[in-house]
Amino acid sequence: MATAIPSIACLGVIGRNNNPLHTSIFPSYDPSTNSFQPVRTPLQFALILSSTLDVFELRSRQNAAAGVGLTGDFGLLHAVDDRLAAYGFETNTGTRFVVIVDMRGRRMDGAVAAGLADSRDKRIAGAATGLREGEMRPVFKAMQVAYIRLMQNPFFDPDEHSPPAGQGGKKITSRKFGEEMRRIGENWTPGVTNL
Amino acid sequence: MDEYPAGSLDHSVPLLHTLGTRTGSTYDAGLSAALKEQAVLIRSDLPPLESDQARALLRYIQDRDASRLPCNARDAAARKYRFRTKTAERSLLLPPRRARLPEGIEPPTPSPSSVLHSPYSPLSPISPLYPDGLIDTEWLRKHQDLVPSILLCFYTLVSDPTLATLCDNQIKTDVNNIRALLSQSGYKTRLAVVLLSDHASSSSSSADNVQERLEIIRRGCSLDSKALFLVPSSDSQEELERVAENMLTTLYTVSVEYYRDLGRHARKKRGRGIAPQPTVPPTSGTSQTLSLAGWNVRYDFKSAVFAEYRLEMDVALRSYEQAYENLLSSELMELIPSWSPRWNEARFLADVIAVRCLRCLLWNGQHSAAARRWQFHRERIADFVDRRGRGTNNYGWEAWEARWAIVMANLIDKAGIPEFAPSARKLYLTPEKSAMGERLQPWELLHHTGYWYRLAAKHLQARKAFAHAIPEDDRRSPSASPASHVAKSAFAYDTYMCPDPYEEYPLGRTGVDHGHMIVDRLMRARAEFLKRHQTRFVAEVSLECARELAAAKDWQNVAELLRPIWRDVPFRSEGWTSIAEELNWLLRTAAAEVGDAELILLTDWELLSQDFSKRPGWNYDITKSLEGIAVKSKPSVSIKGGRHPSSISATFLFKEEEGKAGQDVRSQLCIKSNAHQGSAPIVLSSVEVGFKGCLDSVVLEHQDHAQARQQNRGRTTLAAIPLKRHVDEDAESDATATDEANSRVALVGSADLTLLPGQTLVFNLDIPLREPGETVAESLTLKVESDMFSLQQSLSFQERNLNPWHISASATKHLAHPQPLAIRVLPRPPKMEVRCPVSKEQYYTDEPISLEFEIENGEDVEALARLDVVLFGEKPPSVTVVIPGQAEQTSASVRSEETRLSGAPMGTIPSFKSLNVGLRLPPIERSSRYDLTLKVTYFLPTNPGTPISQTATFQLNVVNPFEANYDLLPRVHPDPWPSVFDPDTVTIPATSDSDSDATPISAKGVSQAWCLVTRYASFASEPLLVTDVDIAIQPSPTLRCSLTTKHTNLPPTGVGRVVHPKTIQEATFSLSIQKLTVDDRSHAPLDTALIIKWIRADDDTNTTTTPPNITTLPIPRFTVFGTEPRVLASVSHHNPNHNHPGDKSSSSPLSALPLIKLTITIENPSNHFLTFGLAMEPSESFAFSGPKQTTASLLPVSRRSVEYRLLPYEPPSRSHNATTTTTTALTAGAAEEKGGEGGEEEEKEEGPRLASYGVLLVLGSGGGFDWCASSGAALYAVVAPHQHGL
Repeated sequence: MATAIPSIACLGVIGRNNNPLHTSIFPSYDPSTNSFQPVRTPLQFALILSSTLDVFELRSRQNAAAGVGLTGDFGLLHAVDDRLAAYGFETNTGTRFVVIVDMRGRRMDGAVAAGLADSRDKRIAGAATGLREGEMRPVFKAMQVAYIRLMQNPFFDPDEHSPPAGQGGKKITSRKFGEEMRRIGENWTPGVTNL
Repeated sequence: MDEYPAGSLDHSVPLLHTLGTRTGSTYDAGLSAALKEQAVLIRSDLPPLESDQARALLRYIQDRDASRLPCNARDAAARKYRFRTKTAERSLLLPPRRARLPEGIEPPTPSPSSVLHSPYSPLSPISPLYPDGLIDTEWLRKHQDLVPSILLCFYTLVSDPTLATLCDNQIKTDVNNIRALLSQSGYKTRLAVVLLSDHASSSSSSADNVQERLEIIRRGCSLDSKALFLVPSSDSQEELERVAENMLTTLYTVSVEYYRDLGRHARKKRGRGIAPQPTVPPTSGTSQTLSLAGWNVRYDFKSAVFAEYRLEMDVALRSYEQAYENLLSSELMELIPSWSPRWNEARFLADVIAVRCLRCLLWNGQHSAAARRWQFHRERIADFVDRRGRGTNNYGWEAWEARWAIVMANLIDKAGIPEFAPSARKLYLTPEKSAMGERLQPWELLHHTGYWYRLAAKHLQARKAFAHAIPEDDRRSPSASPASHVAKSAFAYDTYMCPDPYEEYPLGRTGVDHGHMIVDRLMRARAEFLKRHQTRFVAEVSLECARELAAAKDWQNVAELLRPIWRDVPFRSEGWTSIAEELNWLLRTAAAEVGDAELILLTDWELLSQDFSKRPGWNYDITKSLEGIAVKSKPSVSIKGGRHPSSISATFLFKEEEGKAGQDVRSQLCIKSNAHQGSAPIVLSSVEVGFKGCLDSVVLEHQDHAQARQQNRGRTTLAAIPLKRHVDEDAESDATATDEANSRVALVGSADLTLLPGQTLVFNLDIPLREPGETVAESLTLKVESDMFSLQQSLSFQERNLNPWHISASATKHLAHPQPLAIRVLPRPPKMEVRCPVSKEQYYTDEPISLEFEIENGEDVEALARLDVVLFGEKPPSVTVVIPGQAEQTSASVRSEETRLSGAPMGTIPSFKSLNVGLRLPPIERSSRYDLTLKVTYFLPTNPGTPISQTATFQLNVVNPFEANYDLLPRVHPDPWPSVFDPDTVTIPATSDSDSDATPISAKGVSQAWCLVTRYASFASEPLLVTDVDIAIQPSPTLRCSLTTKHTNLPPTGVGRVVHPKTIQEATFSLSIQKLTVDDRSHAPLDTALIIKWIRADDDTNTTTTPPNITTLPIPRFTVFGTEPRVLASVSHHNPNHNHPGDKSSSSPLSALPLIKLTITIENPSNHFLTFGLAMEPSESFAFSGPKQTTASLLPVSRRSVEYRLLPYEPPSRSHNATTTTTTALTAGAAEEKGGEGGEEEEKEEGPRLASYGVLLVLGSGGGFDWCASSGAALYAVVAPHQHGL
């Protein structure tokens, strides 16, 4: 039990019109089969992502009333259950990044834990059970960088993906962006400060 | 929490038992049958009180029952006491303090140690815990329900003096009785008495009396002063409440003291450090007794519970934790074998302790610690079960997990955390300060109960899955299966607080209704999420719930649950297609089962879209949706666009940005199907395009194979649809213009509206524009009609970036204009025309300008028109308008830049007739350029409110027709100069007639003759007819000037001469000028002007009738006279034959020679005597007679002439052999003159016959005068024009 550490189970990008732009799902360690399997189905992840919109809505109203939250980092949106938790970030153009963390997504074997030589990894081992408040910030930063890169592509038309007045919008089909998301999701472990 | 035995998890609240009041309910001791017979009866001998006051007091105490109060410190601090109350009328039962030995068991003979123990203790054989159990719920119930901390007895204080003593004594006896019974029972329950006074006595004596009686009773009962209360007989409720409050507050301290004693006792027993021996050593089972560690757990648990009674939560928590740790330690639970019932009891105890720990944490507001404690217990137990028990991969574990989540939800509910009020809209609590900064699991931030219920549901689902995986052999009931199998399976399943496998999921009958349990939990979660407006989460939970209901085939509920979500939550429009798809299929299935035809249509219509994944084997055909569904009436469904987009999308484009009323605009409607490949084609019965603004709606109706002209290419079909106007009969009204605009008019066309999957139908429509204004295409309404149903889908058009216009079925181009959905309809264009049939290229100055305009009405009806004229330019003249039938109007406002004539009425112009309007401008003096604007504003009788205007602009160029240059040439005046010696010519200086200027004074001064040569050129663009040329001489005060002769080169008849453009005409004028007086010999200015009278040559009108235009050209000022001497040469021919040019034969050779007489005239207007030397140079070309060299002396104001006769040797040649001049010689050119007829007059005629001879005359000035040198120069200067003139 103590050997389970958090990992990213899903990365979602949601557009201004509450439309899903991108979803990446990452497998988690399943101790019963000793393999890596996604902890939920894509449909369930879609439901989880969409349910974060409630929280975004609620929070932005509260933030507006309290005059806080200017950084766009919403921190923990809610814990879906004792295993999955959703963290959120909103850019100032209304695009939202959601990270769904599986608190028991990776196994830290005894062998692996013993093999962690440097202090950073020891810290990870020690911190395996929980997450600090700003721990998701590097993920959001990396996602934003990737999103900005996507925006800089002259062939990417943001209005097509989130029409200014209308509803819905196309999903992001950029392979590079998808790869970037995959890289972020796979490389993150607690304590990582730069992705 | 329901599944835990009653009372096991409840918050412990001090128990208060009342006695002696009529309660109306029967008393239930709550004792088990075994204990009931041994129970201690506490009994009051006095009858129970029935007074209102007693009842009111009892009710008040009962109302303050604290067992249901929220469990948190905030609430507790606000209350002075907390009691759980039980009531009894006459008697109550207490459990026995010491259990009797069960029959048949003899105490061992040397029995000093065989002490009797409490029936709840594992030491007593009658206890279920005997011999090695820890502690159970019964013990908790004993203190919670059975043994009160305070027994409150109600008595009446009789005020009647006769009965008072008797009653008081009765009370005393009764109380002492009860006290005796209590002490006999062995419980330390505190006794308290409340006396209700039955009479209100206000006198002080009676008050003293009462006080005295109370004292007697108190002493007689040996009661504490804190245990006796008097309730005065008062009607006021407030008084009663006040007394009751005081009483309860006082009693509470007593009760806390009671529990403190108990806690102390428990600690004392723990402190002994030995395990007590049971009454009878166990003989059955393992014959094992409870170990010391077990006893320690028991004592810790007890002291924790007593601390909880005292609300010392920190103490309680510490004790609980201690008990928990000891319980799960290697000495206790690790040693219990998992097959033993004690194993489950220990697990249960661990749960109870954990729950009570959680409550303590929540009580203190340590929410994160509570969540962490919750997780910790789960993990501890999971670990334990994995190692020692039957593992966590079975339904029993999941059942416990679900229960554990529910327990937490209930605890959170019970704690009444204000941050979780729905209005606070908080999903989870921020961690308490002590936990802040730690690495927290997200779940450790305490979430609201909805999340916990959902977690429970999730575990129940897992339980269900595990249950369904139980092999059939195990599901058989034990009676029906072989004993060996029963024995084998007995230990395979974890049945802690859940049924055996053959009950959980029995074969052949229904067992545990998992679905119902899941739905129950989910609905509870849903309610929580709904309270906090987490609509999408509600949708998610509802979906899960619906899946369970669907599994239970409860379709009605599925439909009811999902319908609002399907309708309200915008999954589809926001692009969460996978969710929408799941939702649709679930709803579709439910609707089909329920028979909701409309819902089936709606979902089927939506599922047609290719956005959803195609369900294999499904027949996508909207027309067959309702097959097999019983419908009462034909369902009609209307779908609004936007929220539930359909498989059909539509675009609309206007080709032009602007259009004019009365014209057609080309537009294109494009309907695209996005249905699944292989689905049945949709036949739209009609489509209607709706507009906002002033356009009719366009309706296309389906007609099979209606198109003759349609292009097919791939999946696109392009067709041009002619539209016909169709007015709804019911809306039709009078055919007046306004009503027609209001009535509903539709443009109808027919087309083949069969839409194959993936097909695009393109319709070209020419829509007539009727009213001006902005018009926007808004929506498209599609209708599908069949025998079974009718469906209507409205789509709203969206602005998009790319607007492809189908040129043909295969080719598109993009329309550039930004708003292709909108068209600006401009007003009807004017059909009035303004023409200028005779417009000249140029107009000339000094000419009155008259313009003719033709205004033609091209409208279908007559028009009432008005005319505005604006002339714009520099200093525009006034304008006069001549309209037939109307009075002439001249422009009223003349400004420096603009002349305006407004609103000249033109009357009514009939249809297709024209009106001629004349425009007159007075002669303009200077060349300029004007813009003439004519604006005709008119009204049509069909629409009198709308002015229509037509504007025409013309340019008016006004130029000078002529330009001229001028030469003034000197001539010799024939008249003699006046002599100063001649009295006639000398004016006597007038002294008196200075003011008699009116009478013209005859000029008597020096006179000169001049010749003014003017050459005027026509700058007109067309030939002009010049009728006369003249000069105007401005009179001067010092001289008199008169025109003697003029040569205008015009026909003398006055008809005039046509002057073509760019030709030069010459006119000469001879002037005779004379000074008025001799004395005046100064320079004099001469101002003249050239006057040309002309008319246009192409003017058809008679030249005689129209007055000629007079152009006056001012001539630059000339200067005449002066004091300088002047030398003039004049030539005359003395040809004797000249008068007879034909008679050549009779003339002598000599006389045939032309003889030229050259006269040199020298004028001296100065006051000096001047001498001029005159020398004639001989020449080879002519001979001359006259002085070769002479001297001429001139008196002041005189002139002299010297005559030469010249005879040229050679015939006149073209060569001009004039010599050069020097400063002392001047050259005079002699011109032979043909037409000169004698006389000394110079005759000037340019022409080819002009011949010249060089004549050199040298004039020298006489010496003696110092100005002579310059006089020579002046002389030359004077002669020069003369010479030029020759």
